[in-house]
Formats: sequence, structure tokens, C-alpha cells
Amino acid sequence: MTGHAEKLPEELKLVTAAHVKYIQSLDTKEDEYDYWLTEHLRLNGVYWGLNALHLLGHPDALPRDKTIEFVLSCQHPSGGFSAAPGHDAHMLPTLYAIQILVMLDALDVLEQRGAGKVQVGQFVADLQNRATGTFAGDEFGEEDTRFLYAALNALSLLGLLSLVDVDKAVEHVVSCVNFDGGYGVSPGAESHAGQVFTCVAALSIAGRLDLVDADKLGRWLSERQIAGGGLNGRPEKKEDVCYSWWVLSSLAMIGRTHWIDREQLIGFILRCQDSELGGIADRPGDMVDVWHTVFGVSGLSLLNYPGLEPVDPVYCMPKASIDRVMGR
Amino acid sequence: MASSHGVARTIRIRTPAQREADKQKIAVYRDLDSRLLALNASPYPSPAFADPSVLALTAEVLSRNPEHYTAWNVRRRCLTCGSFSRHSPGPSPSAPPGTSWAPTTPSPSSAASSPSSSAVTRPDPASQCPPPSGPSGTRPDPAIDPATDPATDPATDPDKTLRSELQFTFPLIRANPKCYWIWNYRLWLLQQAINLLPAPVARRIWEEELGLVGMMLNKDQRNFHAWGYRRHVVSNLESPALAGASMAEAEFAYTQQKISSGLSNFSAWHYRGRLIPQLLTERGAGDAERRAFLDDEFSLIRRALDVGPEDQSCWYYHQFLVSNITSASSRLAIAPNLPSADEVSILRHEVEYIKDLLEDYDEDIKLAFEALIDHILAIARLEDRETTAEERGELATLLAKLRASDPMRKGRWDAFEKDIGLSPSR
Repeated sequence: MTGHAEKLPEELKLVTAAHVKYIQSLDTKEDEYDYWLTEHLRLNGVYWGLNALHLLGHPDALPRDKTIEFVLSCQHPSGGFSAAPGHDAHMLPTLYAIQILVMLDALDVLEQRGAGKVQVGQFVADLQNRATGTFAGDEFGEEDTRFLYAALNALSLLGLLSLVDVDKAVEHVVSCVNFDGGYGVSPGAESHAGQVFTCVAALSIAGRLDLVDADKLGRWLSERQIAGGGLNGRPEKKEDVCYSWWVLSSLAMIGRTHWIDREQLIGFILRCQDSELGGIADRPGDMVDVWHTVFGVSGLSLLNYPGLEPVDPVYCMPKASIDRVMGR
Repeated sequence: MASSHGVARTIRIRTPAQREADKQKIAVYRDLDSRLLALNASPYPSPAFADPSVLALTAEVLSRNPEHYTAWNVRRRCLTCGSFSRHSPGPSPSAPPGTSWAPTTPSPSSAASSPSSSAVTRPDPASQCPPPSGPSGTRPDPAIDPATDPATDPATDPDKTLRSELQFTFPLIRANPKCYWIWNYRLWLLQQAINLLPAPVARRIWEEELGLVGMMLNKDQRNFHAWGYRRHVVSNLESPALAGASMAEAEFAYTQQKISSGLSNFSAWHYRGRLIPQLLTERGAGDAERRAFLDDEFSLIRRALDVGPEDQSCWYYHQFLVSNITSASSRLAIAPNLPSADEVSILRHEVEYIKDLLEDYDEDIKLAFEALIDHILAIARLEDRETTAEERGELATLLAKLRASDPMRKGRWDAFEKDIGLSPSR
């Protein structure tokens, strides 16, 4: 073990070039056991990496054609996508596939070479529980507000929200709210920052942010920042870079990012970088991964860190991509 | 790893021997994985999934990689086409050996109805499945070979299969307590217990599961999955499908036990707060009993705050109790019919308590400053009046203390100051 944390330079800077190199290197580690153990996350990883690259201002750092080929190789006749060829289709990789194609301005390939947009939308829509409004991740029925968000996100990018009962979905989100203003994974579950993000973003897509008690929620969210500048996901838990996204994007959606300390959060995220080899970790000195890398970079983008492309707080994608696909 | 938490960063330089070892490991894993995925490409349902070697193959993959979600799905398919496929005791005499059947692909519309929040009403996936067949693809004739009669063969006894499946996942969930897929798989198994077994047998399995969740929560008191899982297990144990009755009292006692062993366990406080309305309804509590209950809860949280005056979890529960007085939402109501004079006197009592707490501690307790502000504003609101000049002075002092002790949230204090200044009555 080396003391990377102690070796950080006095003046912290985002090591953009190293991050780009790190993300590019991810698909070259076929001689490492972990590369194969994480195959079930491959498509997810492409979205995380590609999104980070867009925000870092290097949208072309991954080969476009090869990326599209890979996405299409994960599609099933049902319209859904799996995380890698041969794996089962699931809500999450289906969302990631759409997000990747939107970032690459390549949604058309769904019509030209895939199962068609409507088929993809139908796969997502069929996972709605019409009685409660919430969504399952796959045919085996696990329900979670994560999947509800993923569904509304995916369908709105495809322009197919009409395939589902949005009002019922909104009702379900509202039933997940707690006295502290936060949201849980299902009605009755404890507030959790990740779940707050999915619920507030879902309400935002549905055009129902008026249902959020912004002061109450903003208070709970702002208390997630702890000594050292990082954010945690629940009371009395440790800080973690991924919450830089979930807490901060939620604050952004309710117009309250100024309720936490910007400089301190920037400092925390930058201290989590591997400044030599690139990538961002959950906490300073830990192993980096692409997941924390994208959420660290997205967090910095929301904080208007210089040199980064603006991120959309609802979709966790470059704002320019969202503007384009929504015709804004 | 795609997402690593709390793993220290190291420079990894592999020796040639380690590289070679990795190469071997990769070759073995890729072989297992590709065999599994090839099989998964075959039509479902199909007898191929009922072959015991497939179940063994999924075990090989999952013991190396419990995050392999498709392997869990294949395992479900194996069971659905194997020992879970029998929904009435004994083989069907009308099925001749070698009966072939067309695999059915669920239509989009039928898939639409399958996800359901009520696990109890979910359609039984086993009902879509064909009867099990022998390795040759034909069904053994039970009259000739009673040892393989699905009614007596332990390999196809759903009860035994369920138990061995739960056992299989046990070490995996202990080693990977935050892996969604294992928790989901266990829930699926438990659902099969309801679908396939007599209620008393299924109930025993679910009761044992509550024991497992308890154990997981002893290891990690805040495990989000485990708490959610616990609520799910309890709601099933309470359901008619398992001949259950409310467990609110027992669960309430459980939260007490968890809180006693760790005051900052907000997960337990949260669950406690959620149970109270149900508990009071079931007790048939009248207004006096409800008031006494609320007082007891306030005493409990005050004792906790005495020990941990800087603990957010305790302050959130305090806030929850106060919200029962100040919020109109009846969903939260512990004592919904409190006379408003009583409401005010409770809040005034809490104000005195918090001031004493601040005096006893030398350090600033910013959460106490915030609570005082909440209380002052709530009292004015309950009394349907503007804040007095004295109260406004107090608010200004508290706000100044908040600014000094908690500069991180300066933006919030600015907004708050504007808010009070703009509308002094709120």
C-alpha cells in the first residue's frame, strides 16, 4: 500500500488527462480477473465512462462505431437490453443503452438496426405495476424507486412517456416520502440520498416538482455534508463521492445547491482522485472505479468547476445531449 | 471492480507467477460463464433447464461471482423447470413419456401484469413450466422406477430444494451483504415457499428468514437492504397467505433493542416511528393512552439526547415526534386529538429541556439551536399569532449561533433569515 493521499499536491486540480486515459484503459484489462467478474456491468460501465468523458470535454475518446455495435449486441428481441451479450435484459442496462445512444446522437440505430424505439419503450412500460404505479427491474419482479426513475428517464428520452401511467407513478413516489422530506426505496422505507435522487428526478420528469417539500428536503439534504466536505447518504453514515451526485443533483433540482459548502465539496472530490493514474475513489486513498469517477466528475460539473461541460441534474447526462434530444 | 467501497488504493504489480495464476482463473471462469450463457440462450421453458448439471453450473459461477445476475435467473429457471414445476403431488398420468411441448413466450401484455407489489398475488411462474424430465429428455416412468418419482425423490421435493437453496445462498449473503441479487433471489425462493408448500411449512421457512435478517442486522446495524428485507419478511409473516397476524408489538420491541445497543441507529428509530400508528390502532388506544405514549417517547428520546446531544439520528427522531404535533398529516399522528393548549405546553417543555441541555454542554450543539428555532416558530403558529419581539430577538441570536457553529450551510441560514424576516408570523 502506498500513501497516495499524502502525496497529493498542495493545489488540487482536476487531472482531466489522467481521467480520460483511465477511462480509455478500462476496456483493455482483459488479462485481469476483475474484468471478467464485472462483465455483467459492461454496458452500465460504458455509460458511466462515456458520460464522464463528455463532461470532461473528450466526447470522442471512445470509438463511436464500436460503442454503438456493442450497445446493439446487448439488445434482446423483447426490446430490452442486457449489460453484456448473452445476459438477461433488465431495466437498468436498457436505460443505459438509451443514454449512450442519446449521447452519441445515434438513437436512430434503434429503428435502422435494432428492435425499434417503440419495442424498447414497450419493454420498459411492461415492467410497470399498473396497480401501484411503481416499476420492476425485470420479469422476476423486484420493485424499487430506482426502476421507476429509470423507466421515466428512458421513456422521456424516447418520447414515449405516454406508454405508462405517469400519474400512478407520481402517486407511488409521493407514497415513499418520509417526515424528514426524504424518500425511500418503497413506502415505509428510510430516507436515502440515492432514493431521494431517483424520486425527485422522477417527479421532475413528470413535471410534478410542486409535490416536493423543498425546504424540508433541502434541509435534510444539506445535512448530508459532513466535516471534511464530503456528503453521506443517510444520517450518521460515512461520506462517499457517489453522494456528491445524488445529494447535489437533488439540491439542484429544488434550487438549493447553495445550501452546502461548494469549496469544501470540490476539495473532497479532488482529494479522492488518483492524480497519477486517473479515476476517482469513494474516499481519499481508496481504489478508484469508473462509477465513482462519473459521479465525482458530474458533481464537479454541477458545482460549475472550471473546464467541465454542464451536466443535467435530472438525467445525469451532458446538458447539451438532453437539450438536443428534447429539441430545446 | 466496477464499484469499490473502502478498498485501500495500492499499486498492483503482478509477478509472472501471479499473471499465470490469473490467466488460469480467467480461463476457468470464462468457460463456466460461456457454458451458462449458451444454455440461457435456449428456449425457455425447456427440459434443458431441469438437468441437475445446469444447477451445478450456476453454483460454480455464483460462488465465484455472486453479482452475476443472469446466473441467478438461470438458477430460477432451473428450479421452475425442475423441482418447483410440480404443483400437485405425484406425476400426471396423462403425460406420456417423451411428451413434447411448445415453449411459451410470455407476451408483453402478460409481462405487464407480472410485477406486483404484493408478492402474495404474483402469478406463480412455476405454473408456466413443463414437468421435469430425465437426463435423456424423456420422463422416467414412475411405475417402473419409483426412486425417481417426483413425489418421493428428495431432489424434486420443493421443501427440501427450498431449504438447500436457502443454504446455498447463506454463505454468499454473509460475504456480500450488500449484493441486491442475492437478497432478491432469497425473496423469490421464499415466494415459492408460499406458492408450493402448505402454509405451516412455508411459515416456518419465513420465520427462519426473520432470524437471518436479525443476524445480518447484528453484523451491520444500518444495512439498508437488510432493513428493507426485514419489513418485507414481516409483512409476509403478517399476511393471510401465511396465516399470520400483526407483529407490530414484537417489531416495536425489536426497535427498542436495536436502539439500546446503538443510539445513532437511525434505521431503527425510523422503523419505530413507522410502527407506532399501527401499534396504537391495534391496541385500541384512546386519547389518554395516546398522550401517555407520546410522553413516553419524548422521555425516551430525551434520555438518548442526554447521551448523544450531537447525534443526528436522535435529533431526527425528536423532530419526528414534534412533527406529530405540528404537522397536519394524520398519517403520522400519535395523538391526533391533543387539545392545542397541550400541544403548546409539550413544545414549551421541550424548549426548556433543550435549553438545559445546551447549558450542560460547553460546546455549541447546532442541532439544538435548530430545534429551538423550530419550536419557537411552531408555538407561534399553534397559537395563531405573530412571533413576539422577544421571540424574534431569540431567533436572531440562535441564527447567529448557527452561522458561527455551522458555516458550511451559510446559504441555508441566509435563506432562512430572509424567510423569517419576510414573514415574521411563520
